Amino acid sequence: MKGKTVFLSLLAIVLAMVLILAPACSSKTTTSASTPQVLRINLGGEPDTIDPNQAAWAPDLTLIGQCFEGLLSFKTDGTLTPDIATVIPSTSNGGISSDGLTITFHLKTNVTWSDGTPVTANDFVYSIVREVSPVLACPYASFYFNIVGAQAYYSSGNDTPDQQAALAAAVGVSAPDNYTLVIKLNSPQETILDCMALWAVYPEKASVINQYGNSWTDPPNYIGDGPYILTTWTHQTELVLKPNPNYWGTKPKLAEIDMMEITDANAALAAYLNNQLDIVGVPIGDIKTYMNDSSYANQRLLVNQLGTFALQFNVDQAPFNNVLVRQAFACAIDRNAFVSDVLDGVGKVTTSWIPPGMPGYDANAGSQYAFNVTKAKQLLAQAGYSDVSKLPAITYTYANDTNDTTIAQFLQGQLKTNLGINITLNPEESNTFQSNVNAGNFQFAWFGWLADYPDPDDWLLSEFTTGGGVNQTHYSNPSFDTLAKTAETDLDNTTRLSDWAQAQTMMLADVPLAPIYNSETFALVKPWVKGLDASDIDYSIPGDRFYTLVSIASH
Amino acid sequence: MTRFVIRRVLWLLLVLLIISLVTFLLMHLVPGGPWAKGKPLPPAVIAAINAKYGLNKPLYIQYAKYLWGILHGDLGISYSYQDRSVTQIIMQSFPKSAILGGIAFILALIVGISLGMAAALRQNTWVDYVCVMFSTIFASVPGFVLGILLVIVFSVILHWLPSGGWGTPSDLVLPVIALAALPAAYIARITRASTLETIRQDYVRTARSKGLLERNVLIRHILRNALIPVVTISGPEFAALVTGSFIVETIFSIPGIGRLFVSSVFARDYGLIMGTTLFYAFIISVANLVVDILYAVIDPRIRYD
Repeated sequence: MKGKTVFLSLLAIVLAMVLILAPACSSKTTTSASTPQVLRINLGGEPDTIDPNQAAWAPDLTLIGQCFEGLLSFKTDGTLTPDIATVIPSTSNGGISSDGLTITFHLKTNVTWSDGTPVTANDFVYSIVREVSPVLACPYASFYFNIVGAQAYYSSGNDTPDQQAALAAAVGVSAPDNYTLVIKLNSPQETILDCMALWAVYPEKASVINQYGNSWTDPPNYIGDGPYILTTWTHQTELVLKPNPNYWGTKPKLAEIDMMEITDANAALAAYLNNQLDIVGVPIGDIKTYMNDSSYANQRLLVNQLGTFALQFNVDQAPFNNVLVRQAFACAIDRNAFVSDVLDGVGKVTTSWIPPGMPGYDANAGSQYAFNVTKAKQLLAQAGYSDVSKLPAITYTYANDTNDTTIAQFLQGQLKTNLGINITLNPEESNTFQSNVNAGNFQFAWFGWLADYPDPDDWLLSEFTTGGGVNQTHYSNPSFDTLAKTAETDLDNTTRLSDWAQAQTMMLADVPLAPIYNSETFALVKPWVKGLDASDIDYSIPGDRFYTLVSIASH
Repeated sequence: MTRFVIRRVLWLLLVLLIISLVTFLLMHLVPGGPWAKGKPLPPAVIAAINAKYGLNKPLYIQYAKYLWGILHGDLGISYSYQDRSVTQIIMQSFPKSAILGGIAFILALIVGISLGMAAALRQNTWVDYVCVMFSTIFASVPGFVLGILLVIVFSVILHWLPSGGWGTPSDLVLPVIALAALPAAYIARITRASTLETIRQDYVRTARSKGLLERNVLIRHILRNALIPVVTISGPEFAALVTGSFIVETIFSIPGIGRLFVSSVFARDYGLIMGTTLFYAFIISVANLVVDILYAVIDPRIRYD
């Protein structure tokens, strides 16, 4: 009797589990006659913010780019094209004054918000002033410090509200009429046009933000002027976008974009394999499998990024205060082995800091310090270290995630094998690592830069001028500073780019950093995704600047 | 009993205050800040961000402002999810972890107690061996192995169930199993051990010898007494399950609070660290209080005066 009871209860449990599982089993994928025009992608997590002024994180831009449009935008080749502006301002069309200090944008008159009201120059004035407001402390505000009064307003965080209001009113942007926007600069700047094409100064609708405060980004409050509108935001799960019925431009082909928020790269890959996603980035551990498996041949997509990764040296700390030691280290790293061993082939070796695909790119830049063990040893000998045991202790500091640990071990092996130098590895929790590098508490470390906009001044100015905003190597060279100063305010593109090229050559000869590789995106795309226009200006997902062109074929 | 509960609630408030202070000090001792993520930022921007969040003020002022906010029901702002307040974030993510954890808890109790009882009552038979084998396997397989295994088998190979997500009941199946496996195995082992001890007690022999129905002996005398250790562990176990698991929520893309708790630390999201830690402490304290009250209900020998 007793045995039977127990056995029956066990059976009941098993049955219960089958019942739970059964309805799910029947819901297999079905193919319908008309293919739903839905694109499903993975943002990789919950956006930090989808407020264009405050955004900085690439996946957030993937979303913002669908819902907003600015004065200008980038084409796949990195050049500018007018969006809401009628033309790109230039000195010849009068958009840029002869002294280069006044930029005038004329706006199209048929552009509307997703609620049907017109987009005017005042929306841009509001957005630009808001971008440099101390209350929001927007991360990209420094890109607009050349606008008259912008930096003073941004840095007034400890002032009274009255003082702040006066500073806000003094910011040099104005709208003489509804379709004219005038921007006053402190000094001439060719790349201000690139900056005006960034998400950070997309127009924002003041009435919506004033009414809803922080929750203006919740649908349906999220009013934009782009081809799509955000209809649902299920936090930490997904964002759903539908075409904007009031969009002024060419209507998108897709009826819906689903942006999933799967944080784990392997979980995203599983979702792709289970047909829950149409595009997925391949996680580092799986690259070889999908690179070689012929059944994925029609799904593979390899796209260049405007990104360079490098070994950076703190030029204040021994032994890297000696340029010869830095040069020797640059020559000691086998970049081909790096790309094949660490990156599984996804990436391209480089010695240039400015990546290919950018104006001013020179494939030969820095090539004198390409991988060359003999030269590395000679340079060390010249530095007085023919006996490497005389070198001071050297520590490589890195963020303790999987990728950076692999990189650290590779570099340690290279320096040991090629030069006989033993370095100590110092893994730090990622945020700690970042702040230590910012503070100059490191000897040498890994450094990567991805373009904000395709121009060399984004790669050289604040990174390598003396006291520059993100100069982590503490590199300082007066000749470089002079060149950078000239190029920064030069409105002639030919001389400007040649100055930057010369500046890069000068910097690379001093090796504050040793470029190792240019990054690439390796993704899988379902064969039914048509019209994807992937390029090196993608935000975070292949083709995400041009989803209006995408359609879904029957499958 | 009432006095006991009141005393415990007062203690709870003190515990929360101490936890808030320790967490606050610890998180500010750790180097880094909310601005040290992604691209390096120029000093002017870092200064503006510090001013915006009041991080340029002395620590005791920051802490006092935080406590003042809590007294007004405001858990502060999140630095990593700027479009929502900490209270909103917790209110949106906790129910999901709680639903998932609640179902997993019930499943673990049913499976664990059944297996444990079955094993004990049929000691040294195949039933016992199977139950012990089950509990040993699931007690030793970590959640991330089991979770990934479930995804590979049921999503990637068989395409029966979604590999992750939230919204439909089918999304729940795999994460619930992954979450319930370990506590079920644990509960099974404890139930088995305590049942074995109970059936050898004099009062069980007495009950049998006075001719009670075997069903009554089982339920009223064995089960009830054998369950006390299970109740002891089920309090913390329940709290752990409903507050979410970082691993399971990451594998199955569950929009729960477990992931936020961990990621907030890495992001130096001071507001969210404080909010989630205090919330955790609150749930665990309450669960323990409920367990202490349940003791008295199950075992009349236990009294609180």
